[in-house]
Amino acid sequence: MTAALEIAGLSKAFGEKVAVDHVDLTVPQGSFYGLVGQNGAGKTTTLAMAVGLLRPDSGGARIFGADVWSDPDTAKTLVGVLPDGLAMPERLTGREVLTYLGLLRGLSKDVVAERAGELLEVLELDSAENTLVIEYSTGMRKKIGLATALLHAPRLLVLDEPFEAVDPVSATTIKGILRGFVAGGGSVVLSSHVMALVEQLCDHVAVIDQGRVAAAGTLDEVRGAGPLEDAFVELVGASGAGAKGLSWLSR
Amino acid sequence: MAVAMTMAAMKMAVLRNSMNSQKAGLVVAGAVLGLILAGGTIAVAFVGDPNVGSVTGWHTGDMLAAAYAVWMLGWIFGPVFIGGGDETLRPEYFTLVGLRPRRLAFGLLTASFIGVAPVVSLVALAALVVFGVRLGSAASVLIALPAMLLSLVVFVLLSRVATAVMGLALRSRVGAIAAGLSNGVILAALGQGWVFFVAFQQVGGIPPTASAILRYLPSGWGLLAVEAAAEGAWPRSAAALGAMCLLIVLLLGAWAALLTRRTSAARPSVRGRRPMTAASAQGAVVAKEMRTWTRDLVRNHQLTFALAYAVFFTSCMLFMGMNGLLPYTGAVFILMAGAMSANLYGTDGTVLWLTLMTPGASEVRGRQWAWLLTVGPVGLALTVAGAAITGGPWPLPLALTAALLGGGAGIVPLISVYALVPGIDPHRRGGNPLRSSEDDGSLTGLAYAVIGLGGLTGVPAGLVASSYGWPGVAVGIATGALCVWGLGALAESRLRSHGPELLQTMRTGKRAQSASARWKKFDDLPKRDQIIAIVGWSFGAIPLFPQGIVAGVMKANGTREKSWFLALHVPDPWAWPVVVFMVLLGITLYGGALWVSYRPRPREEALPAAAA
Repeated sequence: MTAALEIAGLSKAFGEKVAVDHVDLTVPQGSFYGLVGQNGAGKTTTLAMAVGLLRPDSGGARIFGADVWSDPDTAKTLVGVLPDGLAMPERLTGREVLTYLGLLRGLSKDVVAERAGELLEVLELDSAENTLVIEYSTGMRKKIGLATALLHAPRLLVLDEPFEAVDPVSATTIKGILRGFVAGGGSVVLSSHVMALVEQLCDHVAVIDQGRVAAAGTLDEVRGAGPLEDAFVELVGASGAGAKGLSWLSR
Repeated sequence: MAVAMTMAAMKMAVLRNSMNSQKAGLVVAGAVLGLILAGGTIAVAFVGDPNVGSVTGWHTGDMLAAAYAVWMLGWIFGPVFIGGGDETLRPEYFTLVGLRPRRLAFGLLTASFIGVAPVVSLVALAALVVFGVRLGSAASVLIALPAMLLSLVVFVLLSRVATAVMGLALRSRVGAIAAGLSNGVILAALGQGWVFFVAFQQVGGIPPTASAILRYLPSGWGLLAVEAAAEGAWPRSAAALGAMCLLIVLLLGAWAALLTRRTSAARPSVRGRRPMTAASAQGAVVAKEMRTWTRDLVRNHQLTFALAYAVFFTSCMLFMGMNGLLPYTGAVFILMAGAMSANLYGTDGTVLWLTLMTPGASEVRGRQWAWLLTVGPVGLALTVAGAAITGGPWPLPLALTAALLGGGAGIVPLISVYALVPGIDPHRRGGNPLRSSEDDGSLTGLAYAVIGLGGLTGVPAGLVASSYGWPGVAVGIATGALCVWGLGALAESRLRSHGPELLQTMRTGKRAQSASARWKKFDDLPKRDQIIAIVGWSFGAIPLFPQGIVAGVMKANGTREKSWFLALHVPDPWAWPVVVFMVLLGITLYGGALWVSYRPRPREEALPAAAA
């Protein structure tokens, strides 16, 4: 079976700094894949290259066999993306953003209206019907971003830090949506630095450290017997947490 | 004082760290230009009749008062035009420090004096001392020193308060429109300032009323103090200095109040919205863009600015009893609207990722339609109204309107993908909505480029219309349609081929490595070439278009109005050589700039690239 996402030999350097160094990853169809790593490990850069938002120095990516760079039209209809911290069409309301994007994706007007209404309702954005996206809170921005990623019914979701700044109630909703999506045959790749969340949701994990894949496989293969957090700290070789205290903080 | 010193040191550090070769080049160019103007102001103090006269004439005092009024207007409106002024230290940085507003304002004010512009202005204000010496009294020289310093503080504070007011005004639509109107009028007035000089020339000097008004402006108070001291009118001299001190205290208070308003959040809008009725991909882009044009206060400001500029620019010739420019109001508006929207993609920021993720949809075409629908009707209405008022001519203004509309709709998206200036994402902008990019210099350059290139697209239609009349309109429509189609296609293909690089540029705020081996990045040019490029790109348009081509067309038509066209002022046998010289000068300036930027690399450098 073709992989939902296949990343081969991706590399990217910004000036002297090598951000991503020959990353290979295979995301099987129907898997819930977690990408974990410290801040600046190269998660965002890897995901941006995997979906065609950043041109790699070398290597490539295929989405259900379609090359992101030589066959972008096919690849990009199969994937829904939630990037971290990028702008939206700021002067539109949530419903208008979804209408605009749905039409841009070639969906018919009625389908767009139906899906937009449903997404806004499920993600609890329908109460802010007349609010422009620029006035949204950070959590609301994540949710409208997720709605845009889901709108065209993709077979693969690539989500960069989808739960950051999202309130617990909305997070539960989003988890439910994502689990349902995977149960229905979809595949999800998400990046996070919250180990508990990845452990709770994902069946596959890759640990990225300094632009390289430190470990990859099923959740059990990577974490072994202990919790994921211990395996992670061991893999990235960080010194034990709390070893260096801030003496002036305690009285 | 400690706070003030810390902020000054902080600004020094920020400036030092952000200084790259491109910025340094611009700073040097700005400083040179500023010092030339300051030298000119000092020179004014040496000429004319130093004694205050009650009759019209070229009195030194009057001329200095006029010069300082221009400096003050520059301080007030310069930042507005180049996008929000000096924001090296933003008040938002200090919200959590818990400073009282006055201390914050005082600290930021102190930091405002670090920079090139205050130094240059101080040099210009030194003309007061020269003037004091010429008046021949020690007292006036003595008064000139504090007057000089106080004037500088007044300039800087007026600038900060004006920018702050503008920032607040841009939070509401009414404010944005009002700001656009007043800024447009004032910039046009500065551009057409020669009209006043011509008028003054006719009466042989600055009339007494004007000279009195100039001294009532805060920019004239320092001068007033110096003149009063020379006459021994001490109370008047002291009053002028005292008034400046009072104004400084009031402005500082006003600024402190404005800063508090700025750092508190704006209210979200909860108005009803009209539903989106588009049914196709292109319709969706048009609908999105039209909504942005009406809802984004910065774009409201840009359009009203262009409108006010165009109307005032052409109608201020009425002061001289000429109405010949009125039919061209629409053309000026279209060019100015193009210049203001030159950074179309940069202003929207990283939202480009959505375009990249939907490869089939034609983004550029939708934006072109939206631009035409926004600018077109207003431009056409201005042209028709202007031509109706003056009773014609009709063909030339209509031909230009059609050609420039098409040219603008083609050039704006094209230049904004080829020369993208990375902007600050709309949702990350600070309390100053005018500031859409950290790179004011490039934004200004882009605006000039659109005026220059946009002007070119009007040339064929203009030439045909001025020689043959109505067929020019057909030519205008044809070249306009060609520009929309062709340049749009170019922009579309650039967006396809370089989309990820453009996105990366916007994400990081830095331009990606130049992909072409031949085009050199501005940063990589040697200093000398940078100066050639800046001078060439900035000033090439003036001799080439107005002084060269336009003057030639007017000469060929036997136009009697000379206005500011040098070729029409010189005796007849010299007119054509002047036109030719101006065109050649313009081409040389552009050519020089192009030559230093785009130069075939030596063979050994090109070889490895070809092998790779």
